[in-house]
Amino acid sequence: MARSEMGPGTPRGPEEFDGPAEVAAAARTQRRIALGYGLLFSVAILSVPLLSVALPWWSGARLVGGMSPSFVVAAGGLYVFFLVVAVAAATLARSVEDRMLGSSSDEGPGTER
Amino acid sequence: MTGTDTVSLMVLAVVGTLVSVVAWRRTRATTVDFYLAGRRTGMITNAGAICGDYLSAASFLGVAAAVYASGLDGVWYATGFAAGFVPVLLFIAAPLRRLGTVSLPDFLAVRFGSARVRIAAVVAVELIILSYLVPQAVGSGVTWELLVGEGIAGLTPYTTGVVVSTVAVGGIVVIGGMRGTTWNQALQFGFLLAVAVWLGALLWAGGFSYPAAVEQASTQPLQAVVGERLVEVPNQLTGEPARFGVPGARYGTLGQLALLVTLVLGTAGLPHVMNRYFTSATGRAARTSTVWVLGLAGAFYAVAVMLGTATRILVAEQADEPWLAELTVDGVLRVPEHALLVLGRLLAGTPGLAVVSAAAFAAMVSTIGGLLLAAAASFGHDVVARIWRPSGGPREAVLAGRAAVLVISILAAAAAIAVDPERLLATFPSLIATMITWAFALAGSALTPVLLLGIWWRETTARGAVAGIWTGAAVAVLALVMGLILGPDVGDGLSAVLFAPALVAAPLSAATIAVVSRVDTGPPVDPRLWTRMHGTAADRQAERLARITLRGRR
Repeated sequence: MARSEMGPGTPRGPEEFDGPAEVAAAARTQRRIALGYGLLFSVAILSVPLLSVALPWWSGARLVGGMSPSFVVAAGGLYVFFLVVAVAAATLARSVEDRMLGSSSDEGPGTER
Repeated sequence: MTGTDTVSLMVLAVVGTLVSVVAWRRTRATTVDFYLAGRRTGMITNAGAICGDYLSAASFLGVAAAVYASGLDGVWYATGFAAGFVPVLLFIAAPLRRLGTVSLPDFLAVRFGSARVRIAAVVAVELIILSYLVPQAVGSGVTWELLVGEGIAGLTPYTTGVVVSTVAVGGIVVIGGMRGTTWNQALQFGFLLAVAVWLGALLWAGGFSYPAAVEQASTQPLQAVVGERLVEVPNQLTGEPARFGVPGARYGTLGQLALLVTLVLGTAGLPHVMNRYFTSATGRAARTSTVWVLGLAGAFYAVAVMLGTATRILVAEQADEPWLAELTVDGVLRVPEHALLVLGRLLAGTPGLAVVSAAAFAAMVSTIGGLLLAAAASFGHDVVARIWRPSGGPREAVLAGRAAVLVISILAAAAAIAVDPERLLATFPSLIATMITWAFALAGSALTPVLLLGIWWRETTARGAVAGIWTGAAVAVLALVMGLILGPDVGDGLSAVLFAPALVAAPLSAATIAVVSRVDTGPPVDPRLWTRMHGTAADRQAERLARITLRGRR
């Protein structure tokens, strides 16, 4: 592999670089993960207004005081859901990167990166 | 204006100026320093700055106003604003930073190796920035009108607010660049969040019950002020009178979907917000910052929705107060954007109004700062340094960027002054949030599809990208113009989509990119670019250097 195809390095210490083949494989995996979480996110966010039409209980029932399930989810529940999705997706993306990239470092296997 | 008002605005101005001057002293006249704060912004600082950039007048005044005016349907603004960062985290943050560019047009131009892509993206970016700046300036004018009530040098109070905010922010950006703007935005977001939490704490201390308030607000049909009289708001789903806690006060099912899709897709295409990702140290840091953004913004919006609900009850209960009677008709606010300002005064008297007004100005100032800086980057770097005078050097690019800040400031102020908020408010309840939606529609239609496909589909070509940007922008602009001509039939149907057109324009843009790229025989993506965008070598290198530096300090 030509050095020009690799990631950047600096004059200080051994260089880090990625090979195109391992990056392509990692990108495909990351894309699958992102699409999976994206689908989950889309279903959750679009189901809230759709349930108002399909399920009278969703906006008619009262959970706490005057708050319907629809109100509780829209005014607070979805923000918690977004944060949970974000933490899970970011953690998984990082672990995929750690697992699939960086094996071609000049330092050789087993070296701290 | 009382002494408290003056002091709060003076404190805000002095802090902003000090931060900018300190940043100016540490900023060198290089592109990376002026536009990207040297790419050394910490994760949490950047998350605070992204929130400060993103949480504009539409969020601080607009969300509470939308909830006040439309109940549950207004909550969708807050949900859509927060939700927009989930796709950013999943699909865009890390690769966007890893390519190592300066602005969104620069990112697209480098990814596709095309000057035409750069030009198309610059046009889209400047359009988005202008359409986002105008409602911020309108918000400044409306706030000044209520807080100060007097003009300067013969100007009306509204015009004075517009002029003062744009001149002040233009100065902060020209002096402080991205470093000064970053610090200002992070500080201002902290202030916004603190004020929102403070108002919430005052409510709880006064015995406020959120569930009971929703119940109380839902007992009567929702009413709005049109002209000088109250009218009942019809439910778009059932045709019956709308109620606060029930969906349908503003949107039918299609309208809700169109609004959500527009806000969710629009966030990823907002140049001033996406530009902040280029200031992160690494792609991983950019992704982690987004997690923080989702936590911080979610907390803010949840409180803002509660404050809008509380205002609905408290204004009706205390409408006999002489100062409030001027702002209401039979206990309903004439201008929903006054909701949070009025709540501040109801809970903490004139000092409360002053603090909330200062927070509203902070929201507008931080967003206007980000917008002006994005305009500067796309003009100074993308137009002058890359197209017009590539031999000019970084100093000339930064100078051009500073000039662009002045020109865009003047254009935005002129447009905001030309807008007649009194007339438009009769047509569009929660005007600022509505106007912001138009900017989201343009961003989500013109830029988000090309960003998503450019990052994740190797076969996307430059011709496909150009065709997609123009298609998305043209369909969105056409829809918005048609919507303004036809008028806001806020129910389900064509007009609901015309005012939030990304539901149609974004898929059309994506389809255009896919079809043109398929038939195009242009060169595939450079493997080195793909490796840089999706690899982590630069991240690991930066993290290793940071560890070495830390060890050296110990």
